[in-house]
Amino acid sequence: MRKYAVIYRSVFLENLQYTMNIALGLISYFIFIFVFINLWGYLYAEPGTRIAGYTREQMIWYVMITEMLWFGARSGAVAGQVSADIRGGNIAYLMNKPYHYTLYILARYTGEWSIRLPMYMALAVAAGIMMVGKLPGFGLPALLSSAVSILLGVTINGVFKICISLLSFWIEDANPFQWLYDKLILIVGTVFPIEIFPEAMRPFLKMTPIYTVCYGPAKLAVDFRMDQYLDILLAQFLYLAAGCGLMFFIYEKGVKKLYVNGG
Amino acid sequence: MLTAVKNQLRVCLLSIKYNIMREMLNKVTFLTNICFMMLNNASFLVQWAVLFRLKEDIGGYSFREVMLLWGLSASSFGLSHILFARVFSLPELIINGKLDAWLVLPKNVLLGVMTSATRTSAIGDLLYGILVVCLTGFQIKRILLFLLFTVTGAVIITAFALLVGSLSFWFVKTEIFGNQMLNVVISFATYPDGIFKGAAKFLLYSIIPTGMMVYQPVHMITDMDLGGLLMVLGYAVLLSVIAAAVFYRGLRNYSSGNLMGARV
Repeated sequence: MRKYAVIYRSVFLENLQYTMNIALGLISYFIFIFVFINLWGYLYAEPGTRIAGYTREQMIWYVMITEMLWFGARSGAVAGQVSADIRGGNIAYLMNKPYHYTLYILARYTGEWSIRLPMYMALAVAAGIMMVGKLPGFGLPALLSSAVSILLGVTINGVFKICISLLSFWIEDANPFQWLYDKLILIVGTVFPIEIFPEAMRPFLKMTPIYTVCYGPAKLAVDFRMDQYLDILLAQFLYLAAGCGLMFFIYEKGVKKLYVNGG
Repeated sequence: MLTAVKNQLRVCLLSIKYNIMREMLNKVTFLTNICFMMLNNASFLVQWAVLFRLKEDIGGYSFREVMLLWGLSASSFGLSHILFARVFSLPELIINGKLDAWLVLPKNVLLGVMTSATRTSAIGDLLYGILVVCLTGFQIKRILLFLLFTVTGAVIITAFALLVGSLSFWFVKTEIFGNQMLNVVISFATYPDGIFKGAAKFLLYSIIPTGMMVYQPVHMITDMDLGGLLMVLGYAVLLSVIAAAVFYRGLRNYSSGNLMGARV
């Protein structure tokens, strides 16, 4: 584990040098938030309206948290780097190092989001309090449970993105699959909670990464319930175990297809 | 003069043709990129279908109009990235001193740079836009207007990218700032303007070019008005002239890198 901690630390310190660049990226996040505040403001035009059981404040805070996760967990390591390593042949140098390649990427990813996510979180809290007001009913249990859930959710997201990038062993460009995964998370998972979908679709959605990556953490923050927390936590652990298994499996299968061109 | 313009156009078209041919070398990747980009755009149908279950009109737009808005945004963005993809990475060329290759050519520098790359997935964006306008009401007049506004939209977003990208001649950090500004334009372009009020709406029709790129054209496709059409055309021309002027003014500040490279 120590070697991965060293990788994490070096990426963390490297990213610390680029906080100004990350800060400029906050503009996009702010614009997204601004658009959604206007959109939900329009849909909640009549006072006292509840949509899918959510008040206006809860809905906007839900979107702000999910968007924060989406923006904060964006990483070059799990998407671009893995594909580039495989396509460019750099993986030949990385796979014989004394670490597992996929865990090396996961450590790099964690180093990246450890800087980004807190910055997005700070903006989300500031913008939320100024533009929407305090989140009603938000207390210590909600804070602690959503923090654990965010940690797990972001890691699950990284594992699945690595799985998709590893498809580059078979197809030259795995980016199109990344777009689809991102869109699944962005459209179905971040813009509105699962409860807004027709009842028949909900069980299916609960089995997708949406439930563990974005719905779970945001739901716990806006509407904490202990039974739901245990449900989400169990789903996240199962998802993480299955995701890691899949990641190792794809990698082992993929490296057997690797051939060296020389040069 | 006319021959020079004709020659320049021929060079630009050949450049675009060879860019696309290069992208087509791997046919599977080429087709996957196009198809998945269309699927990617289509996935937003889910979002709007859900939102329209909550209210019949959103910001004065019906579902069909939102689809038209989406289609026009995608096709404008797509056309711009098929023809002028390099504009969107202009800051990288400026900061790393990579403009030299075009400065020594006996052709227009700006057009040479602009047409030197293409983005495969953008073909999917363009096709998606055309598919959407056909599916949301097949009328020749409507399709012709859509194609016209796809061109004006592409000109507007390209000019805006050129304008913010050219700032890199003076400031280094504008690379990220420029990308963020483009994200702002695209983020607004896929939501109805009716949900924005006051200063935000004013900005969308002035400094942020989204209003003239998609909002005004969508209003005119549903309800044509000559004044509005002239306004969009005027805005596209004016923005292009300003962007080109800023680029050439900035080019005087350009300093070459000592990087040796070959363009094949």
